[in-house]
Amino acid sequence: MFGQLIVNGIGTGLIVALPALALTLTFGILRFPNFAIGAMLTFSAYMAWTFNVLVGVPLIVSALLTILLFPLVAILCDAAVFRPLRDRGSITLLVASMGLSFVLENICRLFFGNAARNFDIPLARPHRLFDLRFTNEFLIAAAVSLSAMLIVYLILRWSALGRAMRAVADNPNLAAARGIDSGRVIKATWALSGALIAASGVLVGMDRAIDPQLGWNYIIVCFAAAILGGLGSPVGAVVGALMLGLIGELSTLVVPTNYRVGVAFAMIGVVLLLKPNGLFGTREIVK
Amino acid sequence: MIAYLVTIATLVSIAVLIAMALNVQWGMCGMVNFGLAGFVALGAYTTAILTLAGWPALFAVAASVVVCAVMGGLLSLISMRLSEDYLAIVTLGFGEIVRLVTLNEGWLTGGALGLPGIPRPLVETIGSENYETAFLAGAVLIVAIVYFGLERLTRSPVGAALRAVRDDDLVASSLGRNVLLLRVKAFALGGGITAIAGSLQAFQFSYIDPSQFTAIMTAYAFMAVIAGGRGSHRGLILGACSIMFLLEASRFLKDVIEVLDNAQIAAIRLILIGAGLILLLIFRPQGLMREYRLSAPRATAATAPPPTGKE
Repeated sequence: MFGQLIVNGIGTGLIVALPALALTLTFGILRFPNFAIGAMLTFSAYMAWTFNVLVGVPLIVSALLTILLFPLVAILCDAAVFRPLRDRGSITLLVASMGLSFVLENICRLFFGNAARNFDIPLARPHRLFDLRFTNEFLIAAAVSLSAMLIVYLILRWSALGRAMRAVADNPNLAAARGIDSGRVIKATWALSGALIAASGVLVGMDRAIDPQLGWNYIIVCFAAAILGGLGSPVGAVVGALMLGLIGELSTLVVPTNYRVGVAFAMIGVVLLLKPNGLFGTREIVK
Repeated sequence: MIAYLVTIATLVSIAVLIAMALNVQWGMCGMVNFGLAGFVALGAYTTAILTLAGWPALFAVAASVVVCAVMGGLLSLISMRLSEDYLAIVTLGFGEIVRLVTLNEGWLTGGALGLPGIPRPLVETIGSENYETAFLAGAVLIVAIVYFGLERLTRSPVGAALRAVRDDDLVASSLGRNVLLLRVKAFALGGGITAIAGSLQAFQFSYIDPSQFTAIMTAYAFMAVIAGGRGSHRGLILGACSIMFLLEASRFLKDVIEVLDNAQIAAIRLILIGAGLILLLIFRPQGLMREYRLSAPRATAATAPPPTGKE
């Protein structure tokens, strides 16, 4: 029982880690919390569903198509909404992101209605190992999530683009003085975040039914993970997501399952009061 | 038709109250509240539960104002060590918790079925015939009282201090202002106003359930405040009324475009809300009306076009 909760917690954590990573990346570069992340997740899940069920290609192909195409949507959203507001301060940007989230969520509702949708995947019996159940979805989520993290790490650590991204996140003025094109870095950041969101959209869609409200279930947990790890810290977001996944599952031993989001919320409160920079937040947070 | 207009006007009054609460918190003091709907729900449920338990309406409303004000103060305290960005997620989380509690604690809130039969105040004295109109008059009176109270506050030294905290809290604190206390007070005041709005909503329908308090309520308030001009209470009333008018008008879209069903019309409205919010932020960040400033008369004189001498 206890072991199974740990397995489930890791599963949830790995799925949440991707949007949390996307959130923290955009925050690091653009300095505002993107509240549209939930709606973006929903949108990408519907994109994958369209390819998978309406067009009828296998899920793996539609997942790849979504991961390739959704970054374009993210860049488009940035160009239409966030770029004109870039120098207006984070509060204006975060209110605009809420507006964007309304638009994206309701585009899905307009075309697909409120009914819950499912991917066209065969049901499979879970694998058993030492009395623990591992579903196919869990194994796929783990594989996808871990490889996505590895790719993000490699890009940030070793590529010229990653170096530029870290430089802009660290000190935008210095980066500009050194001739780094911030427009290009911002586009790359949205592309990378978009791909992460798309991957998690597919994983979430496999885990539960897709409906227009889908993203709302993840937005608070996702922020909690990013804040716990320290907003702006990629490693922190992943660790924060795993911790939250575990805490969320284990809390079901004491708290009714309906209140799992409440546990995430309580974590935000505790972290903000005790350790406002998060576990891995090195940067001084502007008060 | 008159009955329809009276109902709409009452709903507009409630929306104006919610927007005023946001205007105190965000417009005047710079603190984002994404959990507005949660506050309204908390106020509505407190009033409903207490009146159903036999409390007189006035005491129930007073109690719900206290509950929401205290909750607002506490929430703003959580983010005391951080920038306002964090308050956004804290309040969003709070709204979600309120929703979960109203949905799951059936013994207290009736769960998804809600609380029916909330007694409306003074219904025997006024009689049911003109009750709706009288209720509207009461709601408008409350809006007027809150409006004049807030106008006074805006023009008082405290109002100036709140704007100073919003524009640059470092300057405000170096000038000897207790920034934390001002923030907590502003958030508590906003919380209290949402409680009044929630109570009105509970009495208006004499029935509440969790589906009445969604993020859309919060989005309306943000749009009203942005459209009216942040910090301007007069502009906000104008903003809230024009938004409600547009939204009501969009109901009749259905008669024009017959291919769309109700859910699709609802979706289009929400797309328009979101897009409108973004467009206002981009193209008209100052809103319809300017915020009150101490130097307003001089400033307008200075910005008046200089005489060209061609006449």
